[in-house]
Formats: sequence, structure tokens, C-alpha cells
Amino acid sequence: MESLSGLMQGFGIALQPQNLLWCFVGTFMGTAIGVLPGIGPALTIALLLPVTVYIEPTAAFIMFAGIFYGAMYGGSTTSILLNTPGESGSMMTALEGNKMARKGRGAAALCTAAIGSFVAGTIGTVLLTFLAPPIAELAFYFRPPDYFALMLLAFLSVSVVMGTSKVRGFISLFIGLSLGVIGIDKAGGMQRVTFGVPDLMDGVEMTVVLVSLFAIGELLYVASRYGKQTPNLNPLAGGIWMTKEDWKRSWKPWLRGAGFGFPIGALPAGGAEIPTFLSYTVERKLTKHPEEFGHGAIEGVAGPEAANNAAAAGVLVPLLTLGLPTSATAAILLAAFQNYGLQPGPQLFINSGDLVWGLIASLYVGNLMLLVLNLPLAGLWVRLLFVPRPYLYAGILIFSLVGIWGVSNSWVDLAMMFGVGVLGYVMRVYDFPIAPVLIGLILGPMAEQQLRRALQAQQGDILALVSTPLSATLMAVALAVVVVPAALQWRRSRKIEPLP
Amino acid sequence: MTERPWWIAAGLAGWGAIVLWKAAELPQFDRYAGIGPGMFPSIVGGVLIVLGLMLAWQIHRGVRFEEQEAEDVAEGHAVSYRALGLAAAACALPMLTMKPLGFVVTCVGCFVLVAAAFKSRSHVLNAAIGLVFSLICWWLFRKLGVQLGGLLPIAEM
Repeated sequence: MESLSGLMQGFGIALQPQNLLWCFVGTFMGTAIGVLPGIGPALTIALLLPVTVYIEPTAAFIMFAGIFYGAMYGGSTTSILLNTPGESGSMMTALEGNKMARKGRGAAALCTAAIGSFVAGTIGTVLLTFLAPPIAELAFYFRPPDYFALMLLAFLSVSVVMGTSKVRGFISLFIGLSLGVIGIDKAGGMQRVTFGVPDLMDGVEMTVVLVSLFAIGELLYVASRYGKQTPNLNPLAGGIWMTKEDWKRSWKPWLRGAGFGFPIGALPAGGAEIPTFLSYTVERKLTKHPEEFGHGAIEGVAGPEAANNAAAAGVLVPLLTLGLPTSATAAILLAAFQNYGLQPGPQLFINSGDLVWGLIASLYVGNLMLLVLNLPLAGLWVRLLFVPRPYLYAGILIFSLVGIWGVSNSWVDLAMMFGVGVLGYVMRVYDFPIAPVLIGLILGPMAEQQLRRALQAQQGDILALVSTPLSATLMAVALAVVVVPAALQWRRSRKIEPLP
Repeated sequence: MTERPWWIAAGLAGWGAIVLWKAAELPQFDRYAGIGPGMFPSIVGGVLIVLGLMLAWQIHRGVRFEEQEAEDVAEGHAVSYRALGLAAAACALPMLTMKPLGFVVTCVGCFVLVAAAFKSRSHVLNAAIGLVFSLICWWLFRKLGVQLGGLLPIAEM
């Protein structure tokens, strides 16, 4: 009931005309920038972050809600029409969606993606509404060892799950952690790894790393591998609407996709890859048209796309209630909170109730707005795909400069942009996952703080870290996340190796 | 690609060593908390060195590095180091020009360089488009309150 009154209060805020306008602006810009090739949801939010810094917090987060879902939808549009998923969550969408587009059924694919996103996003938001307050209340009983164990679990699972190799996942994570220790130590006031540079005392600016890693890294990578091919697509042939048959084949995958997406997205180790993959596999098994899979089956778009959006709503649960980001997009949202001096977590629901409930209510509004906006405007978004690449990427660099130079007018930030951009390039060429860097950078200092608090309470006894039942359990799970796959791999490699 | 990028492993271990070296200057232990301000960076630096060694070992065993997929990247493309150089120059340019020449001039330079990296040859047209775009950005974001500096800092000095 607390949720309901909170939500009503939230709608009261979100439905104010001026906030509705911000939500619209967010949805529109999120979709427009998300549709641009080369820009996934995480980068969309990163680029729009500096724009919102000067708006008052509630309006800014209402706008973020729009950007969040808009960017997700924009990403699926490029996956379907160009076969170029902007992030791992939309890989499965591209698989069947692009085949449909090539057969001239692109409009139906976009349509089932849009409605599926709406259905799953709404289910996810409803679950968020009712689950977040109890979890936040539960989080009040969390003590420093519990938080530390939870963060350790997030670190380990993010590094193990993302990317192709565990070593490379951990390398990314520790690069992030090492950037996170730069600056003045919060507990003791001592300078750490600053090399005496005054600009580094406040620590490495999150926006700088994030924009450089995504935008600059992508710019260098695409520039060096750019061919002058024009995308060949004929997306809107074959009718705008879904047929009756399409509807019949879509609604169950939407619901199942939401069922996979939300709970997995809400886990600290969740993310969007696993639910979309699961949804695709299940739809492939359950379909009455197995012959169409691999050649453009609508279930293969509807399910994963719904799962992707539901997972995105799920990711907000640990983010809002525990302050724990579990995807690159969530890490950026956390950075946005920190820009306003807000710390997501149980306190947020009490201290900034208006903001949280306004944000949640805006998720409903944004979701609906997205549907209204996208069905008629699909043709306009498609045209955005043809922006000449030289101008597109040059524009991306200028936007990045607005973000980086605008933060603090610091030369060190510009140098960092170049350095981290080159790092982003190398990570793309040699296939290091990017998200763990951000998670390490953002969660690292928080984890250290909790670690020191936990040890302080027990005068430095290391057993303090497993002194509560929850922390002991989480530590065991964290250990299992690393040990179990490694053990399985070891057994498998032992079986193979005896062969000559 | 059976390339052996030893330099990544070396760079990683090197960065780990720098972090460890800087962290070693700080107190590692604390009377109450057990660990001092230097402990966490020390651990991070140490693990980075270990990861560098593990990566070196993987490279030695011939581990494969597959390039990530991206939008606008064709499969089986050739790497153009000229384009990479131009794009890198565009990203390095602000370090030289942002302070003395200001946001708008810097952005025009970046715009032309990036467009050239993407094989656009009409530099004058690009500069004009870049100028209009940067002026709009500069004006708009200043209105929104983002501090981007004056139009031409040198002239104002």
C-alpha cells in the first residue's frame, strides 16, 4: 500500500505539464540518439548526461527515464534494420529481426519490438514499483560486511559473465578499480596515486572516463575500419502494421520474455544477455513454425526484445534499492545520481521520495510515450540511419567535448579523454569487455569504504567480513561464481587434452 | 589473427607497478581499521601485475583475440592506419588548442579531422558545417549553463 501511495504521489509529479515535457524531450532525444549508428543505450545516456546537470534533479531524472527506454528502443531499431546491435542485450533481436527486415517485414519487426518493449517494460515497472520498497527496507538491515560481500559478488560475476575470457574480464575490472583509487582518500584525507596533479585530487571524473571509453574509443575503432559501403535496406516495404497472425504469434513471447527478463535483470549478476538468450532459445523450442527460425521468425524478435526491456527495468531494482549497478547503463545512471550528490540506496526512498517515485512514475509515462511516438515516427527514425558517417562521428566528438570540457574546464580531463579513448580502442581491438571498467570505477571506492567500515567495527579482524549470515552466504556465492566455471573448464580441458 | 600483443601484458603490469609504487608510499595499516589508505591501492596494483603475467602466459600459449563487432564496421575490413591517425589527431587536438583558442575553433578543427578520417575530401565544406554545428552547440549549451569558456579566449585576454 505504501507503494501505491508513493506511486500516486509520483504520478502527481510526473504528470505536471512541465515534467511531461521533460519526459517527452528525454524519450525523443533518447530514441533519436539511440537510433544513430554506433551509439548504444549506455553511450546515449552518457552523452546526454552533461545536458541534464543543470536541470533540477526531479526533472532531470524524469528526463532520464525517457532517455533510458528511448535509447533501448533506438538500439533495437538499428539491430533490426542494420543488423548492428549496439549492445549485447539486442544481439538476439538482430538475429531474427534483421532477417525479417531483409524479407521486407521490417515494419512488423519494429512493431512487435515496440509493443513487446511496452508490454514488458510496463510489467517490469509494475514489479519494480512493488518490489523496490520492501527490498529497500530490507537493505536497512544490511551492514557493511553485507554490502562488501554484495559488491564483491557484483565484481566477480560481472567479470566472469561479460566478455569472452575471465582473465580479460578481470583485467577490465581492475583497470576500473585502479582508476577509482586515484584522488583523495575519503576516510583519511590522503592523496593517492595523484602524482601531485591538483586536478586529480577529486578523483577521476566519471563522465570523462565513460564518454572517452564509449564515444572516443568507438570513434577511433570505426574510423580505422570504415568502409564506404552504404547500408542497403528496404525496411518499410510490406506494410506498416502487424497482421492478425503476427499478433497471435507475438503476445505469448512478450509475456514469457518479461518473465525471464525481470528476475534475472534484478539479480546482482544479472544483465540483459542471459534473459534474451534464454527467451530466444525457449521461443525456438515452443514455436509452431520452427522452420522460420533463422529466416525471420517474429517470435524470435518479440521474446528477446521483451526480455531485454524487462531486464532493463529489473536492473533498476538493485540500483535504486542498494546502489548497486549491474550493467553499463546502470553504472551511468548511478553516475548521474552522484552528480546530484544523491546516493541510491535505502536512504533514497526516505530522503528523496519525490524523486524516486517521480522517476518510477515517469517510467510508466515514458514507456507509453515511446509507444505513441514510435509507431507513427518509425519512418523518421529510419531516415536517421542515413546521416553521412563523417558528420555523424564528427558530431559525436563535439558532443563528447561538450561533456568533457564542460565538466570542469580542466586540461587534465582533455588528456584523459585522449588516453582513455586510446584504451577504449585497444579494448575493442583485443576484445576486452568495457562494462567492468565502469563498474570497477564506480563501485570500487564504495566497496573499499564498506570494507574499511566492516573491519573497523571488529578492530581489523578479517573474519568480520563473514560475520553476518548474509555476508557469509554472499561470499560463498561469490566464490562459487569464480570457482565453479573454472572447475568445469578444467575438467573439460583435461578430457580433451589426452588426444594427440 | 595469431598476433601476440605482448605490449598489452607489459603495459598492464607496468600500470600495476606504478599503482603499487605510489600506494607503497602510503600507510598500509591503521590502528583501528586494520587496513590503511595504502592497502586497497596496493592490492589493486598487485593484482594488476598478476593479471599482466597471466595475460602474458595466455599470449604465450597463443590465445586468440577477436575484434569486437561494431556498427559501421564491415566484416573482413582492412585497418587503415591513416584514418586511425587522423581520428587520433582529432582527439588529441583539444589538448593543444582548447585553452588558447577556445571551444568553437577547437571543434571546427576536430570536425574537419574526423570527417577526413571518414574519407570525406571536401574540407572547406566540412569546416563550414563544423563551424555552424559548433557555434550552435556552444550557444545552446551555454544557455543551459554548461561552462564552455569564451568564444575566442585569446581575443579576450
